[in-house]
Amino acid sequence: MDKKMLTIDLNSHVLLDKAERDGVETIYDRKLGFKAQCGFGLQGSCCRICGMGPCRITPKTPRGLCGADEHTIVGRNFARMVAGGTAAHSDHARDIAHTLLLSSRDGNYQVKDEAKLIALAKDWDVETEDRDIYDIAHEVAEIALMEFGKPFGVSRFLKSAPVQRQQVWKDANIEPRAIDREIATIMHSTHVGCTADIDSLIHLSLRTSLSDGWCGSMMGTRLSDILFGTPTPRETEANLGVLEQNKVNIILHGHEPSLSEMIVLASEDPELVALAKEQGADGINLAGMCCTGNEVTMRHGVRIAGDFHQQELAIITGAVEAMIVDVQCIFPALARVADCYHTKFITTSPKAKITGSTYIEFKEEEAFDNAKQIVREAILNFKNRDKSKVLIPELKSTGTVGYSVEAVVGQLDRVVNSHIDPAGTVKPLVDCLTSGVLRGAAGVVGCNNARVVSNESHITVIKELIKNDIIVVATGCAAQAAAKFGLMDKSARKYAGKGLATVCELVDIPPVLHLGSCVDISRILDVVSACAKFADMDMCDLPVVGVAPEWMSEKAVAIGTYVVASGIDTYLGIMPPVGGSAKTVQILTEGLKDIVGATFTVNENPQELAATIISDIEKKRVHFEALLEEKMSAPAEA
Amino acid sequence: MNLFNIIFTGSEQALAAAKGMLSEAIEKNGREHKVAFPDTAYSLPCIYAATGQKMNTLADLEGALGVVESLINRTHLLEHGLNAGLATALAAEVIEALKYSTMEEPYTAPCAGHVGDPLIRSLGVPLVTGDIPGVAVVLGECPDSETAAKIIKDYQSKGLLTCLVGKVIDQAIEQDVKMGAELRVIPLGYDVTSVIHVVSIAIRAALIFGGLTPGDLPGLLEYTAKRVPAFVNAFGPLSELVVSAGAGAIALGFPVITDQTVLEVPMNLLTQRDYDKVVATSLEARGIKIKITEIPIPVAFAAAFEGERIRKAD
Repeated sequence: MDKKMLTIDLNSHVLLDKAERDGVETIYDRKLGFKAQCGFGLQGSCCRICGMGPCRITPKTPRGLCGADEHTIVGRNFARMVAGGTAAHSDHARDIAHTLLLSSRDGNYQVKDEAKLIALAKDWDVETEDRDIYDIAHEVAEIALMEFGKPFGVSRFLKSAPVQRQQVWKDANIEPRAIDREIATIMHSTHVGCTADIDSLIHLSLRTSLSDGWCGSMMGTRLSDILFGTPTPRETEANLGVLEQNKVNIILHGHEPSLSEMIVLASEDPELVALAKEQGADGINLAGMCCTGNEVTMRHGVRIAGDFHQQELAIITGAVEAMIVDVQCIFPALARVADCYHTKFITTSPKAKITGSTYIEFKEEEAFDNAKQIVREAILNFKNRDKSKVLIPELKSTGTVGYSVEAVVGQLDRVVNSHIDPAGTVKPLVDCLTSGVLRGAAGVVGCNNARVVSNESHITVIKELIKNDIIVVATGCAAQAAAKFGLMDKSARKYAGKGLATVCELVDIPPVLHLGSCVDISRILDVVSACAKFADMDMCDLPVVGVAPEWMSEKAVAIGTYVVASGIDTYLGIMPPVGGSAKTVQILTEGLKDIVGATFTVNENPQELAATIISDIEKKRVHFEALLEEKMSAPAEA
Repeated sequence: MNLFNIIFTGSEQALAAAKGMLSEAIEKNGREHKVAFPDTAYSLPCIYAATGQKMNTLADLEGALGVVESLINRTHLLEHGLNAGLATALAAEVIEALKYSTMEEPYTAPCAGHVGDPLIRSLGVPLVTGDIPGVAVVLGECPDSETAAKIIKDYQSKGLLTCLVGKVIDQAIEQDVKMGAELRVIPLGYDVTSVIHVVSIAIRAALIFGGLTPGDLPGLLEYTAKRVPAFVNAFGPLSELVVSAGAGAIALGFPVITDQTVLEVPMNLLTQRDYDKVVATSLEARGIKIKITEIPIPVAFAAAFEGERIRKAD
């Protein structure tokens, strides 16, 4: 099979040819090298959590050595994926909370969005009257840090959900307590000889995932906005064509904005810009990949170089002076790819050291100095670029990004009639959903996965949804796919149905809204929650879905689980490793409906997946409209 | 309550009514019986503009109703909702044309019914110059005649052309609102279908002043949305037919403001229960800005009163 069949991105095709010429291996080569993957692993029925194993379930060996059946094994594996994902998001949030604690009036990190800090402080019963903003920030940061390990109580963010949803969580006994505790509990319960009940394992997974969505990720987003500013709409460009021939190209890859924000500042430092010119470059060109790329594009319009599957290809252009990474979703393969070119692969986090990389530790205490040192390394590397090995592919797309919840509400204010309604609410969005002008809303999120063709599922699903008047909000690598294929440009309304196109024109937005990085999926929860509260409904009553067409990471598993636990039906384009247990499949695709009002649906064919989503949204509208009618006629009777 | 189903039901009612009237007319007069509105070079203007076809006989109308039927697709997407609204408008034009074709004098004073080309040509210039800043279509029934008169006079004093449909005509008369084309208040008729005569004004404006090619439906809708500053005020209980006709207005780019509880659509279908704010709400919804130079005089002053005749009794 031709590896170019594994991605629909034409820039990637160009660079895969170059990789072959340069003799460099990419994920696509490794994918083909693997041939068939192990069926036991794919089904989740392989267990290696103790020294007696590994065990695997077959018709002849229906139990592991300890006696665990397929349901226990699959359930434990699934729960550990949820724990892994929750740990990743939450440790990210912990770093941001620490950064907030370090913020000071004349320091590297300052409070940029005071209003958001004060709102959060009030939510958390922190005194705000007549206090220095930094005293408030530090107290909020300490409370945030306590969310990870407080001995009593439940997540403070839960009360921002609709009351109906809070009751669901209470009744199901899945209110997350402290984040680290939930993760530790899963690791405990999935130890050999502990939980051996699939219902219980799923229950633990739900609670832990909620400590991600409604605590860790939500904290990551809120505190990032407070520190670095709440995103506002801005123009950007996407795909590897944003790399420049005559500039020092620096790629920011990873997740945490505390690093990338400082790199943005450092790259604008006059002294360093002058140094770049001294080295013969026209300047410094910063571009982002993955979620740290999303963070800086949302807040600064920094251009998007590419998504998860393009990280090696970026280096293969031969035009990247430095690939600066922190944590999560960084191919260890980058060390080997970078060796083939002049590119410096710089790791910065003690949590993610990679053999073969240049390690420059990034400490928040001396953030700006560290960032300058890293950027200087990149600049000094410009002279080592081998011009004969440079190939920057041409394609790039324009788009408008930066749609935080606040920015969305700001756009909605454009269509509010000042003689009827106050500004600053989600009413216009709710009206579009209730009247049926918009049939529904979909959050399309997730990764790239070599089990399907890169970007194909994202783009197919998104195009089908917008064609059917379903507005799409996107985050993570799904958002980057949409941006690369021009779907975040305002002109993309031509792909939308009449209803969505009209809304886009009146509200002045593209049909696919970039809401940010993977932790920013908490923004999607915030929007759905606000709409549900406005309509006085539970989140599971709205015609709203979550979709992860090309998911791959454990973070995606945690995300999908907390989205379902929040009452939002979730559609996957990749089968999770649960097929080995009929009970697990039954619970995830049906049983959860009774517990949290939403389920998972899986279909690896993107066309079929889209068709299912569209028909399910129409089915859900019947319930939604009946409920609406009940609510509209109620005051008349009273 | 499903907005799309209401619209589709209204469109089907309009289609059924038009079909019924047409077959009755054919039975009485034969298929070759002549069909035309007086004083117009545009045949049945809405059908002509939408399809490019001139209607001359009852037989032609059978074909037109086929087009109407094809516009009704019960899929719940805005595109189909708006098409169904246009279907209602075209069915209404068929019904009104049948009135003119089969009745001696379908409209009598105070109702104007069909508006002839000459009047549209004379209104066209002030519409283009902004001297007439907008066209208000007031239909239905206000809770009381004082409210109706207050709103109509407010539009009149701002120089808008106001067309009345339904019981609001009687309410205006009761309150002694001075009416007539020269006073920019035109009572059209009591049937909902007579609202088509104001749509016909907008559409002929597009054909006459916009130089649009008959049959260029997208071009027509763009012209009316961008260049004809009309809007609808629908008062009192809304039947499916009225909602469906409202969808037709929205398709043309005209927002509908009602005092009833409806599923609101931002910028297009709005509920305003405070009658004192209906005028301001409507003007904002249609983006009509009026330059006001208030002159402190004891009587209303506006271009709308230019054609007023002072009778001996006054």
